[in-house]
Amino acid sequence: MPKRLIVATAMLALAFFAGPVSAQDRDLQDILQEHTEQIADPSRRTVGETLDALVATGHPGLPGFLTRWQSREAWLRNADGLFIYVEDEDADPLVLLDISTGERIGEAGSREVTQLRPNGGVRRVIGSALVQFQLNSDDPEVRLEALEAIADDPEESFLPLVEERLEVEEDPTIRARLEVVRPGLVIAFAEEDAARIAAIETLDGNVSLAARAILNRLLTTRRDVAADVPGDENIARLLVPGSDALPRAEAYDMLVEAELAPPLILRAEQRDVLAANIIDARVGGIPVQSLNTDAARDTAYAALVVDGLADPIPTEAEIAAVLEANVFFDAYREPSQTVTDAARATLDSIEARVGVYRFFDLSLDGISLASIYFLAAIGLAITFGVMGVINMAHGEFIMIGAYTGYVVQTLIADYTLSIAVALPLAFLVTFALGVLMERSVIRWLYHRPLETLLATFGMSIALQQIIRQIFGTQARPFTPPDWLAGAITVNDVVSISSIRIAIFILAAIFFVLLWLILNRTRLGLEVRAVTQNPAMAASMGINPDRINMLTFGLGSGIAGVAGVAIGLFAQVTPDMGANYIVQSFMTVVVGGVGNIFGTLIGSGMIGGLQKAIEWLNPSNTLAAQTYMILFVIVFIQFRPRGIIALKGRAAGD
Amino acid sequence: MSVFSQNRSVPIFIGILILFALGVTVMSEAYGTGSISTSFTKVLGMTLCLCLAALAMDLVWGYCGILSLGHFAFFGLGGYGFGMWLMTARTEAVVRANLAEGVIPATEAEISDATALQIFSVVGAEDWPWMWAASDNLFLTLVLIVAVPGVLALVFGWFAFRSRVTGVYLSILTQAMTLALSLYLFQNDTGLRGNNGLSGLQNIPGAAEIGQDRISIWFFWASAVALGLTYIGAAWLISGKFGNIIRGIRENEQRVRFLGYRVEAYKLFIFTLTGMLCGVAGALYYPQAGIINPDEIAPIASIYLAVWVAIGGRGRLYGAVIGAAVVSLLSTYFTGGRAPDIDLGMFVIDWVDWWPVLLGVGFVLVTLFAPKGLGGLVDYIIRKPSREDRQ
Repeated sequence: MPKRLIVATAMLALAFFAGPVSAQDRDLQDILQEHTEQIADPSRRTVGETLDALVATGHPGLPGFLTRWQSREAWLRNADGLFIYVEDEDADPLVLLDISTGERIGEAGSREVTQLRPNGGVRRVIGSALVQFQLNSDDPEVRLEALEAIADDPEESFLPLVEERLEVEEDPTIRARLEVVRPGLVIAFAEEDAARIAAIETLDGNVSLAARAILNRLLTTRRDVAADVPGDENIARLLVPGSDALPRAEAYDMLVEAELAPPLILRAEQRDVLAANIIDARVGGIPVQSLNTDAARDTAYAALVVDGLADPIPTEAEIAAVLEANVFFDAYREPSQTVTDAARATLDSIEARVGVYRFFDLSLDGISLASIYFLAAIGLAITFGVMGVINMAHGEFIMIGAYTGYVVQTLIADYTLSIAVALPLAFLVTFALGVLMERSVIRWLYHRPLETLLATFGMSIALQQIIRQIFGTQARPFTPPDWLAGAITVNDVVSISSIRIAIFILAAIFFVLLWLILNRTRLGLEVRAVTQNPAMAASMGINPDRINMLTFGLGSGIAGVAGVAIGLFAQVTPDMGANYIVQSFMTVVVGGVGNIFGTLIGSGMIGGLQKAIEWLNPSNTLAAQTYMILFVIVFIQFRPRGIIALKGRAAGD
Repeated sequence: MSVFSQNRSVPIFIGILILFALGVTVMSEAYGTGSISTSFTKVLGMTLCLCLAALAMDLVWGYCGILSLGHFAFFGLGGYGFGMWLMTARTEAVVRANLAEGVIPATEAEISDATALQIFSVVGAEDWPWMWAASDNLFLTLVLIVAVPGVLALVFGWFAFRSRVTGVYLSILTQAMTLALSLYLFQNDTGLRGNNGLSGLQNIPGAAEIGQDRISIWFFWASAVALGLTYIGAAWLISGKFGNIIRGIRENEQRVRFLGYRVEAYKLFIFTLTGMLCGVAGALYYPQAGIINPDEIAPIASIYLAVWVAIGGRGRLYGAVIGAAVVSLLSTYFTGGRAPDIDLGMFVIDWVDWWPVLLGVGFVLVTLFAPKGLGGLVDYIIRKPSREDRQ
């Protein structure tokens, strides 16, 4: 069948490109009528021939009919044997449609027409015939689907189709896919090793998952054991029993499986055998009560073996000898060694490149984690870092910011607009809350810094509980708009979600903005003056009360805005703040207090480090966090004042 | 003056403690009238353990000025240490009983394997992790309950004090320590059953026929004795020269150092000692609670410890005990659902929901208006005559 299809394809190509005069002129119905019997009642064996003949006509209406036929949507009118479609399968009477024009041509009862119901096998054959049409479809989606179908279920006949398409394809995505599918087909079906190796080499440097899958499939091995190294196998490697790759017990199990050695008797099996041979409360002459040590059991079992009641246990020497006498090896399923060598070399070079990309991807992850930490900590860098207030309610400001976003979203349906409203609103809400807190509580505690910790902790649990009362314990949805929901994919290794980019940008904006406020404005100057020496600042005409209030409000407001950003990807719950509070304090302390540059570096270090540890020990975020904290603890020993330490009087104590 | 009043507080405190313990015993289900239920006896016993931990916290923070936000980590370690023995012994007894039904008597190796499988199958493991090596030995376990928190405190403190990490930085560092420990324990493959924690700790091995009503009284007394002895020991420790030095460190570390004292050594000693005390408190607490999991040592638990001491009154031993007892008993009362709701007509105050708000606001008010805590009230009562003397 495949050969015939190739011929048919060639003819089809001729028909398309050399001017299909006859096909255009003839009616599709007439062409189909020539094969009525085969189409109405096809069989897996013969349908190929019919399809070849149909395809050979090159009629443009054919793909549409084949698709309908395949999905059991084509019907036959019993009266005159015409092929028809119906408008609605469940209608009664059925409305009949012409297969060429799609016009209504009449009605019929369900007994007057027959639905064509090709079986699964036939439908697959129709499907492969359709691929050539789909591959050349104008719709890129259809072309991509056809390619996926080919990759899932490759057939030799597809190769020329794919090669043909590769010459004319312009869509970069599909082209990339074609460039993987073609070598895949060559590797699977070409007879000559040279052609297959050439195909393997075209995959060099291709980091897509599909390309790696093709090579890995080529390099699959099976593990086997034999008395001698077999000459007809493509051996990947020989294994030594007792090595990491092949533990001794596993090697012996293989021997047992291959019936090259007698089975070992495990302790549990030994016990069962003993239990089955109890005579007069004794086994092999030993009282059952005393069988509570391995030594006693061995003696009893040996007695049973002597009596022929149990299989002998192979001794250690016997095991060693039989392991010695056989060779263990991994053999490639692919018989040709030159092909597997080429595949191995290509895969190695791809993996090296993948490693580079993965490092790049990891760096992106690290940066994005760092920007999250930075966002969470930046408010604290002001309240704690600049003012020295240990604000344990910082996490709750983040949480309230996130809930502000949620509330705004319930009022404004448009996601983009709701975020645009939520960002400034969250700032206002938490700014007001921060000012309120500073005025009512914190200003009384500036000379007792450790006690601000207790007071703000009290506020943190109160705020948490109040929010819980209002919104309940369950997570509230705060959904990013569609343009933030996607991801930017560079290739199969490197991708980053849009929301993380947005957070990175937000973090960058915050940093610049805060740096400008603190270093380039009157307010910033006054803030720095008040934190360094309130009395002196006051005597210069600065109102320390006002400055403290504004600074604390600013830090709280920023925490609220960060909460909106964090709420977009994390769960919005009343206790979400607790997840960020310790991390944020560490970020500020590692970076060095009193300096938002330090916070930036601190978050970069903590985020990057955590991702790096995750890379060493993948799929264990908890362990990464644990080791990251341990690192921070040790780091503080060596730089107790953080990375960027203030010097001189500004450092205070 | 302060030394004298503290010494005077010892007989009063011990007297009250003995009366309290006797009273609870007389009213208990096992040995008395039964007007205090077994579960409430356990609550009282646990409260005594929390008081013990608060006492340790008071020593390290109230007297030495080190605000540690990680002492509950030591508490948890003590609990895990004793819990390992309790769980192993209990599971082994069950496994032995099961295996005894087999035709062939089980070997020790089989019992050990089956016990390990029973304990660790919940995290998909079947072998004993290294840290359980001492779990079949009661004596070694009792040593480790004190030694493990002690060594951790010693190592951590040595690093921290050596590089002069003080004040807020130290608080955050200790908080990081307890967070790291709890995250570590949350992992399933670290050998302490991940977030399942250790359970069934209320069962005392070899005492299956003794009811929980009696066991609860035993642990209650053990907690009371531990608290009493610690109180006496702490009062002795702070009354002498040592007490003056650590109070000096609290007031001005620099000056004490310039006077020639090795401030780091004193701080390290007090930090380690209190860590060990917390270990003991935890070891007594969790058999009464019945279960321990990594959530117990989350940073917030240690903050609560500090808050209790602050509410009770820092720098006085009875203050810590009063703070821990009052706040934790009130929390139990209000969150237990037994407190009557207050009906304000259009709005019903449900205590289970509003207690945390009240507690939080309470912390703020105490910090603002009663920096000496509830213990300040005692001062107020005792010192009244002395003011008259001056007149």
